[in-house]
Amino acid sequence: MSLNKRNERRLYLRSALILAAVCGLLLTEACGVRSDMQDQPRYDAYEKSDFFADGRSSRDYPEGTVARGHLEDNKAFFTGKIDNPDPNAQAATSTDANGNTVVSSFPNAVTEFPLPVTKELIDRGEDRYKIYCMVCHGQFGDGDGMVVRRGFPKPPTYHDDRLRNAPVGHFFDVITNGWGKMNSYGYQVQAADRWAIVAYIRALQLSRNPDSNLKMTSTANSNTATPAAAAKPQAPAANGATNKGGAK
Amino acid sequence: MAQIFRKSANNIAKISMVSVVLLAGVGFYAWTQLARSSYLTGQYLEIQQPVQFSHKHHVGDDGIDCRYCHQTVETTASAGMPSTQTCMNCHSQLWADAPYLEPIRASFRDNKPIQWNRVHDLPEYVYFNHSIHIAKGVGCSTCHGPVDKMPTVYEENTLQMEWCIQCHREPEKFIRPRSEVFNMAYRPDDTDQATRDQLKVDYKIRSREMLTSCSTCHR
Repeated sequence: MSLNKRNERRLYLRSALILAAVCGLLLTEACGVRSDMQDQPRYDAYEKSDFFADGRSSRDYPEGTVARGHLEDNKAFFTGKIDNPDPNAQAATSTDANGNTVVSSFPNAVTEFPLPVTKELIDRGEDRYKIYCMVCHGQFGDGDGMVVRRGFPKPPTYHDDRLRNAPVGHFFDVITNGWGKMNSYGYQVQAADRWAIVAYIRALQLSRNPDSNLKMTSTANSNTATPAAAAKPQAPAANGATNKGGAK
Repeated sequence: MAQIFRKSANNIAKISMVSVVLLAGVGFYAWTQLARSSYLTGQYLEIQQPVQFSHKHHVGDDGIDCRYCHQTVETTASAGMPSTQTCMNCHSQLWADAPYLEPIRASFRDNKPIQWNRVHDLPEYVYFNHSIHIAKGVGCSTCHGPVDKMPTVYEENTLQMEWCIQCHREPEKFIRPRSEVFNMAYRPDDTDQATRDQLKVDYKIRSREMLTSCSTCHR
């Protein structure tokens, strides 16, 4: 076979290939197969899924999943409860004029903050309080927020002896799991931020009663810690503001 | 011999040359205007939702913070859509029997998410992250407009690249103090230019070259 002929054949082959490719492209276009960059074949946040029966592309974790670094084994920090709670502990209760049960002792709640109480923590708490709590509990904790003025049952004020004497773990537990008519805010507010809110509630209480013996003590110590060191909560969940999406 | 073209053909030729250029110009201009029109961009187009949720009522009248519902706006790319449980925080008690809110109760009861209709839909070849804009002092209303006055939400801006890029070129004209990011009553001239220039330094906002680099948004 001469060199010329081989080259000629190659040329034919190449032309045939290009022709086939062009035909193939036209055919796929005609069939409606296209990769549109505007709407790419991946899920954006909250995008509808045709694959899963319930239509959600954002899937729940399989039960029992623990993300790396999120074992949450610091019980006081993540539940506000003491380490070995007494299952038989009875809370003191009474019934008020409206027939509501009022709990006035909280035997299994921690009494000290499990993280250092600093000005940064309280400032963060003020910020979060005004987002999530103020709507009902009011700007100063009197229970007269805008949603209450619209008819939501009035929550108790923070400024009575019962709640002044309540341990910090109780406030944390209420935010985490809800209480009475209040839903759980655990999924809306990260644990570190919940403690910040508790610190701010304590600050609100102190502001009305500077002479009371309310103390903002912390087991993590210390109130004497430098603000810079304390700005980083030592617990693994870290601060909501620095938590970079991804696994929760 | 008779001429093929009459003398007037000269004028016709000139006029047609000019009008081709003119028509092309007008056509191009019309195309640019059509591409920017709300007919094609969806700007100012109110999007109806399965529940007649009013931002004007919840934000404007009740003063609920944006982040009460859009919880992840400070930490992730998506601002976050509230789960039905967030609605039920109040509506388990308020308007709990209203037929209006039946889709919410049905969603809560059957554990089925409400299918909201997307208002702001960026093309998927654009990378956008809410949290970085919040951290650098871009206010909600800078892009989303007066949501606290919107009974039905619409796009305040076109979301076209020319709109994005005007702020990426000169962020110091648009940013505000971080404390004002979620303040719907903030007006752009509440902060003077010198302060905004300083904010750009303080918030470590990158250079115009970095912010307008293709791969900043197209990655």
